[in-house]
Formats: sequence, structure tokens, C-alpha cells
Amino acid sequence: MIDSFYIAWKYLLFGKARSATLVACITLIAVLPLALEIILDESEHQLVERAEHTPLLVGAKGSALDLVMNSLYFADEVPQPVTLASAEEIAATDLAFAIPLYVRFQARGFPIVGTTLDYFDFRQLRLAAGTPFGLLGECVIGAAVARQIGLKPGDSLLSSPETVFDLAGVYPLKMRVAGVLAPSHSADDLAVLVDVKTAWVIEGLVHGHEDVARSRDSSVIIERSESNVTANAKLMQYTEITEANIEAFHLHGDPAGYPLTAVIALPHDDKAAAILRGRYQDTETPYQIVPPADVIDTLITNIFRIRNVLDAVILFVGLATLMALVLVFGLSLRLRQREIDTIFKLGCSRLTIAQLLGAEIVIIAALSAVLCLLILSVVAHYDQQLVRALFI
Amino acid sequence: MNSPVFAGEGDVTVHMMRRSILALMGFLLVLSFPLLRAAEPLTVYTVNYPLQYFTQRIAGDHARVVFPAPADVDPAFWMPDQKTIGDYQRADLVILNGADYAGWVSKVSLPRLRLVDTSKAFKDGLVTVEGTVTHSHGPVGEHSHTGTAFTIWLDFYQAVQQAEAIAEALSRKQPEHKADFEQNLAALRKDLMGLDLEIQQTVAKKPRQLLFASHPIYHYLARRYELHIEDMVWEPEDMPNEQQWQLLRLAQERFPADWMLWEKQPLPKIVQQLDSMGIGIAVLDPCANRPASGDFLSVMRNNIANLKQVFAD
Repeated sequence: MIDSFYIAWKYLLFGKARSATLVACITLIAVLPLALEIILDESEHQLVERAEHTPLLVGAKGSALDLVMNSLYFADEVPQPVTLASAEEIAATDLAFAIPLYVRFQARGFPIVGTTLDYFDFRQLRLAAGTPFGLLGECVIGAAVARQIGLKPGDSLLSSPETVFDLAGVYPLKMRVAGVLAPSHSADDLAVLVDVKTAWVIEGLVHGHEDVARSRDSSVIIERSESNVTANAKLMQYTEITEANIEAFHLHGDPAGYPLTAVIALPHDDKAAAILRGRYQDTETPYQIVPPADVIDTLITNIFRIRNVLDAVILFVGLATLMALVLVFGLSLRLRQREIDTIFKLGCSRLTIAQLLGAEIVIIAALSAVLCLLILSVVAHYDQQLVRALFI
Repeated sequence: MNSPVFAGEGDVTVHMMRRSILALMGFLLVLSFPLLRAAEPLTVYTVNYPLQYFTQRIAGDHARVVFPAPADVDPAFWMPDQKTIGDYQRADLVILNGADYAGWVSKVSLPRLRLVDTSKAFKDGLVTVEGTVTHSHGPVGEHSHTGTAFTIWLDFYQAVQQAEAIAEALSRKQPEHKADFEQNLAALRKDLMGLDLEIQQTVAKKPRQLLFASHPIYHYLARRYELHIEDMVWEPEDMPNEQQWQLLRLAQERFPADWMLWEKQPLPKIVQQLDSMGIGIAVLDPCANRPASGDFLSVMRNNIANLKQVFAD
């Protein structure tokens, strides 16, 4: 038996290209559906887990999917804004805690997530280094952000302008990295977390500049009266918040009117959740309240429809390939007819010849299985990253 | 028939029993760990001394109440360092005065769900300080940096409402001690309302008494107790310049007040010059930071004693 495997192995080595093609075909047939299964399972797991851990989201009326994808996975599509007053309204009901979210800006391609320190407790985020953001202008970066752009606590990160053509817009803010998150294998790994007030600084709603009441630079002051000083755009605003200039930073107007993209509502219990949802059923309200799990469930259902199509395609391709393989084997037997006759004339029985051919098939199948396992283990190892790169 | 007793067998038995008892005690200790944790006092940080006093009175031994500002600063304008901000962030509760008090709060990140705004219940009744310079620049338009009067605890009825907000927050955090908190709140309420009544009775003796205030910090006191006050912006440790004295003389012509309220004892030469203008001084310490001696109640009682001189027949 071992002799049969030895001769079969030597034969396969003799026709390396043919053997490699056969191994590749069988491996692909096996790997494609299984790898797809792993990736879809992981994407489902990631989407559903994060959604299920987020009881309710309140945002402006519009696409619930955009609201959920922006708030949970920090997707680029920014929903219509709500105001800080909406978060205060939720808190005032005594039915739920409210965590504000403002996910609109980016820093070096990573989303800036404006929120409060409560978000860390809510998502159970741990710091691998440094401290939580303390002063205005500080940020905490996700593990993947730190790894990809090589930042550590004490370094700086510049916010990106929303458009390159916004020449008269607000200046980018140089943020100090206060801490780095430990990997959480979620969208938070790829986020730059800041206090929501820092996000408003990036937008220009909160800003710092020299005291215009005391400024003697006539090229900056347009008009000065007893009760008002009007400055022009030359008035330099601070682009970095330090202990020296933090006193100069101030809010404009009532913070209750400041924008948010969503509010995470954490109801005290199921009854409170039901009452809270009821309050947003009014058609007149500018808000919508959505359980992210429901939205993601709909999305998953759609993904599964696509999955069924993909499975069918893979099944047909697999069948066709298998038939091609059978044909290849059949043709190769025909091509090897003289070779088989020679073996027979050398005194080998028909059973031995069958053993030799069987050993070739077993070796090819075994090599494909090993290769398949290797590829699947790599896919399984990097499934979270693959899912985030492909879907989220 | 007795079984034979080997030498040392009794020692072994005692030793094993000891080990069993120790193991049992260890097991019970592990079991009781959650209970021990539950009994741990809360760590509560406040932004001024009155709130620390109210919170400690209400919480008793159930909380460690910290007001970390140095004794020589005005907490309204103090800026904590990074370490202290970290301490505030880690606290179980952070008691805020509200009314834009302690501007540093808006410039740092604190856990929103652990913040207690003690003036939320009467937010609509807060006094806005007018008269500061506005400016405008860029696309945002004209805006003003006028503020909200923040010495809200000098209206003792408002102070009671602040204390109630604190008690409610503590009860939410430790419902098992709610009865204690309510009992302590009742005692504090009685003390504060006692002060409230005493001021009302004091002021009632001379309801038309006119007063200058060296600093604009008595808005709520004036509103609650119907005091007639005109504000200056003087510091007790700085001699006012000639322009400020001139402004006072002009003010005195249309507002003939003969007493000036001070947050601290002013310089003797200020007292002397005011005296020459027929203006007496009365210290009414808002007690925003911890006093050198006594506590919030004793400082307020001193304040009332000083007011009694002003409103004496």
C-alpha cells in the first residue's frame, strides 16, 4: 500500500503543473463557500452584537439605516443633525440615560466620534495607554488608529477639513492624544474619540481667540462701540487648545441648540423603553427612535438573500468544476492507457493499478484539504479585519 | 475496647480542624465580598464648598465628599490641574452648582451620567448678568459673553432645592441608604430654612434700606429677601482708584445707600474712606470656599449677625 502511495507521489511530482492545477481546483471549490460562510458569520456577529448592545438610538427623521450605520459603525453617511436639547429631553424623561454622539468629522481618514466619557463605560472600552480625554482638544484613539499611524499618548493628530474647497471654513484642530484604547475588535478600534465639545470646536461653534475687547490691532477691528466690538475674519483663532489658551475658548449661543448626529438612549428597563418609544411615535416629532437590532436584522435578512444567490452560484460552479475534474481524470486515464498496459505487462494486477490511481486521487485530495485548512485558518484569524475592510 | 491512641494524632486533628475553619472563613469572606463592596462609601466631588457641606451633611458616613480646590482660590474661577480632573472623572458623582458656575466644567470632559446639576429645578429662574461687552467676528455674527449670576446658595430656599437634588442623586446611587439621606436632608432643610426666616425677619425691620455691594454676587440674596442693592466691582484687598470713588459718589447722589456689603473684610483705608462718606461696611461672606474656621452654617450666622447691624432700627 505504501509502495502505491510512493509511486503515486512520484507520478504527481513528475506532472507538477497538472497536479498543482488539480489541487488548486479542488481547494478553490472547498474554500470559496466555507470562507464566505466564515466572513458572513463574522459580519453578522459584529453587526448584530454591537446593535444588540445598543438599546435605542434617537436621531433626525430619515434613513434609519444611515442613522444606525453612522452611530454604531461610524459610516461616512452623516444623518441629519439633532440638537443637544434632544439628549437633554431624553434624560429629563427619567426613563433612560442619554449618551450624545456627533460623528461627522475625520482625522487622517479615521472618524472623529464626539461623545462623553460615559461612552467608554457603555462600550466597556479599556485604555491600553494614557488617560481618557480630559481637557477640551484632547482625544483617545482606537487601537487600530494607533497602530496604523503610529501615534501614542502625548502625540498630536490634526482634524481634516470637510472639503478642500472650504477655504473660509474653520481651521483644522490640532488634538493632543491623551490615550490609546485596548483592541475591542469593533468599530471603536478605528475611531478617534473626543468630547462632544471638542467636536464642536472642530466645527467652529466653540472657539478661542485673542480678547477683541483689548485688541489694539486696527486691521482686525472693524467697529468698536461701548457695548460691542466687531472683528473681521483676520482675527486669528487658536488651532490648538493648550493650558495657556483654554481660558479663551468659549461657546457661542445656547449649547442646547448645538448639533449631534444621534443620541444613544439607555432605558432603565423594558417598560421605560416601551414608554420612550411611544413618545417618539408622534408624526409631528422631528425625531425617530430606532432599536438598532431591528434595523440590523433587516439588513442581515437582505444580506442572507444575497448569500443564498452566492451559495447557488458557488454550488453550480463547484458542480461544473467537479465534472471538469472527472473529465480530466477520465481523459488522463485514456492518455495513460499505454502506461497502464505497460504496468500490467510488468506483472501488476488490476487491483494494484486501481490502488495506484486511487493513491493519486487521495494524495491530491489530501493536499487540497491541507491547503484549504490553511487558507480557512488565515481567513478565520483575520475575519474581523476582513469584515471591517469589506463591509463596515 | 478503646482504639489505640498514637503519639501526635491529637495534634494532627487540631491542625486539620484549624485549617478547615480557616478555609471556611476564607470562603465566607469571598462570599461576603460583594456585600463589602456595596457598603463602600461613595466618592463624591463638588465644585464649591457649600455643595461639599450640603452633600456631607446629607450623605453622612455613606460618602467621602471632596472639594479639591485650594483654600485661597475662588472656586468660580479656579482651573483644576490634570490630576484633579482625573479625580473628578473617576468620582461616583460630581455635584455641580449649575448657572455656568466654575467655567472649567465646560472646558473639560466629565462623565455626563454622573453629573448632578443642583440648580436644574430652578433653571428658568436664574438671573442673567447684563452689561458686559459683546463682540462679533466671522460668519457666526454678534454674540455676547454675558453670564449667569451663580451665587445661588445665598437664597436659602434655592439652597434647599440644591440639597434636595443632592439627596435624590445619592438615593439613586445608594437606594439602600435612602432613609438616612432623607433624614439628614430634613435636618439640613430645617437649618437652611431657619437662616431664611432669620434674614426675612432681619430685613423686615428696615425694608427700605439701600445698600451698595462691593461685588456683583448678591443677586439671589437681593431677589429672595427684597434687598435694594447697587453693585460696584471692587476688590476688598485693592484700594479703589479715584475714578471708582468718583463713580461711587455719583451713585450715592441718586442711590443714597449708607452701607456697603463686602464678601471679605476690606482694607482699613477703604473702610476709613467709606466711613468719611457716611457708608458703613458689613461683611456678607458667600463662603464659596471652605472657611478658615467654622462651617457653612456658622459663616452664614455671622453674615446674618452683620446684616442685623445694617437693618437695626
